[in-house]
Amino acid sequence: MVQPTDLQDLIGIEHSKLGFFQELRQKVEELKESNKRSEEQRREIAAILDGITDVMMVLSENLRIISVNHVFRHLFDDPHPEGKFCYELFRHEDHPCPECPAFRSLATNSVCRDTAIFKLKGRNLQFEMVASPLKNPEWPEHRVLIFKRDVTLEKEYQAKYYQVEKMATMGMLAAGVAHEVNNPMAAIRGFAEGLQRRLPRIEGEVDPELAQDFREYTDIILKECHRCQKIIQTLLTFSRPVSAAFYPLALNMIVTDTLRLVDHHLRKREGLKIQLRLADELPLIYGDESQLKQVILNLLVNALDAIQGEGTIQIRTRFVGEAEVCLCVEDTGCGIPPENLDKMFEPFFTTKAVGKGIGIGLASCYNIVQEHGGDISVTSEVGKGSRFTVCLPLNANEGSRERALFSPRR
Amino acid sequence: MSDHRVTKFAIPEIIFGQGSIGYLAQCSRRLGAKRALLVTDQGLIDSGWAGHVMDILRGDGLDFLLFDKVNSNPRDYQVHEGADLYTLEKADVIIALGGGSPMDTAKGVGTIVGNGGRIADYEGANRIMRPLPPMIFIPTNAGSGSDISQFCIITDVERQVKMSIISRSLVPNVSIIDPNLLMTKGNQLVVSSAIDALAHAIESFVSPLASPFTENQALKAIELIAKNLQPALENRTPQVMEQLSIASTAAGMSFSNAGLGIGHALAHSLGGIFDTLHGLVHPIVLPAVMRYNLPACPEKMCTIGRIIQGGVESCSPSQGEEGISQLEELFARLDVPHRMRDIVPDASKLEQICRMAVHDACMLTNPRKADWEDLLAICREAW
Repeated sequence: MVQPTDLQDLIGIEHSKLGFFQELRQKVEELKESNKRSEEQRREIAAILDGITDVMMVLSENLRIISVNHVFRHLFDDPHPEGKFCYELFRHEDHPCPECPAFRSLATNSVCRDTAIFKLKGRNLQFEMVASPLKNPEWPEHRVLIFKRDVTLEKEYQAKYYQVEKMATMGMLAAGVAHEVNNPMAAIRGFAEGLQRRLPRIEGEVDPELAQDFREYTDIILKECHRCQKIIQTLLTFSRPVSAAFYPLALNMIVTDTLRLVDHHLRKREGLKIQLRLADELPLIYGDESQLKQVILNLLVNALDAIQGEGTIQIRTRFVGEAEVCLCVEDTGCGIPPENLDKMFEPFFTTKAVGKGIGIGLASCYNIVQEHGGDISVTSEVGKGSRFTVCLPLNANEGSRERALFSPRR
Repeated sequence: MSDHRVTKFAIPEIIFGQGSIGYLAQCSRRLGAKRALLVTDQGLIDSGWAGHVMDILRGDGLDFLLFDKVNSNPRDYQVHEGADLYTLEKADVIIALGGGSPMDTAKGVGTIVGNGGRIADYEGANRIMRPLPPMIFIPTNAGSGSDISQFCIITDVERQVKMSIISRSLVPNVSIIDPNLLMTKGNQLVVSSAIDALAHAIESFVSPLASPFTENQALKAIELIAKNLQPALENRTPQVMEQLSIASTAAGMSFSNAGLGIGHALAHSLGGIFDTLHGLVHPIVLPAVMRYNLPACPEKMCTIGRIIQGGVESCSPSQGEEGISQLEELFARLDVPHRMRDIVPDASKLEQICRMAVHDACMLTNPRKADWEDLLAICREAW
């Protein structure tokens, strides 16, 4: 069992007290190996994370940014977002947004979703947000993982789709109305003109005052006819499907045209004042007339809905900074609560009563303005009123988004 | 065997002096202690030294575990028990406090936790292939020299054998030798450990592996024991005990590097079969062993004799024999058994004891070859 020991063994020249050097070296090798493995794993995970195209952030409990992914860095030019607050970067605010899904997610310990519109680099972008709580017993405090996906395009298409549907219906309606109204109109106009042509024949026969009355009345009939036909014309242009080409337009013209459409509405309302402050000599913009009319109409209808009883709607146009033309629609209505401000331009968000609207108006406004390379924004104070501002660039091709893939058939 | 053999001299770090035990915690920390395993025995607990050591560790805020399942001639299963405790409790540095038994147990524990397997796997020389945990030994008997040596003696209960495990890795990292610990020893223990040390010195001095480095240590040890053993029994002063400490340490340095002889081979065999106290064997067999070895190394025996007699200048041919007689007289005056029949219950087992002893590694370094019959003759002489 045991080999015989000899004197050399006892001297043990070749044997020393073993230290841990060998073991240490082995351990170091093992550690290197495992370090390499975890580095590979880290890379793999990093590659997976880099493959995620949503904005990703890990936030502390008080919404300080702990880490972000490369998409985030694309979105913000800030080289060191870590340590800053999320609302600082997204909203330029100094306090967390109420209704923040991160808080809800931490409180309920569940995944929470929400959508919001942020103005980043001068553009309104709509994000779908998912907040999931990250709880690790070894961390001093909980964290929350936020995904923000840019759904601006999706929402746009969604809105466009509804828009197209509506336009199709409107088109049919308008064509019908035009058809129905144009015929009697033509008859009325024809007969009125006939009356006018016959006036000289009866002028000597009747009281000159009476003849004057007839002349005046037929004039009025003709003028009103003309006005009716204008309205019908406007309706027709309005219902024309989305055109694929931009033409030079005078914004002031579009404003007055559109006002004519809601004229009867305005006149029905007691104590409602419309103030037009249109700038003189506004440069032409490039755009789609019927679409821009749509925008103004939507804004006007909203302003009307916001005002209960007496109030003022002010419509202003002005030339700003050599490059864009802005239109302001301001009302003295009920205003918008701050928590709704983000959602204003989301499709299907509405505070109107059922049957009054489906929440598509502002969403399509947003899309149309975007398509024109412009920008729409809102400021509001509850109880005081709201102001919507649409700014359109003079050169619509620059900065304008790709034309819709969604052009309807002619 | 040439005269120009390459030799080796290895010893641990030695911290020596009265009060040196105060450095224990600091030393442990230096070796990376967070949770030490303190190996000791009941005797040390009763005398209060174990408590003192634990207070030192506590005072430094060092966590430790106590392992005291150690008796004289430590058993293989006790070693494994200690190793299991060490592993289970995730201890690091091993501290041994006591005589040869706790220290050898600690070496066994270290061997198992560092190398695995059973302790019997390491019987013989240089079978330990992996490092042991750091070890700090505090010898309390100035005899065994286990705190200095590369030897570890464990009893294999099944085979009734005292296994000699020899490896440079069994040399502890630090030996803290505090003579104050000797002040509370009983006279019998003082005597038996001093004579054990003396036997270490004498046997290693005449060993064929002796080198100038071991010889000097051996002679110094013989001189100090011859001078101080009697005074230590009459009047135990710290100075005297310090001299005995130095002697035991020097003897340890010598035998660890030069090996021992047939006296220790017999003592191990007796311990294995009869569980005889190691310290009791040497006063009985040492003179007989020296007489057996005398023809093989007359000059060295003469030197020993001169030192024991003290103050003798020249070396007469009979000097060796006279020295042996002097030793016998000294032993006779001491209150210890000095015939083998006093400690061995059964003479019929002697043959078995001697047949087993020839397999001991200590046989190799005896200056004169011996077979089991030679050993039996020595036993009969000492009977």
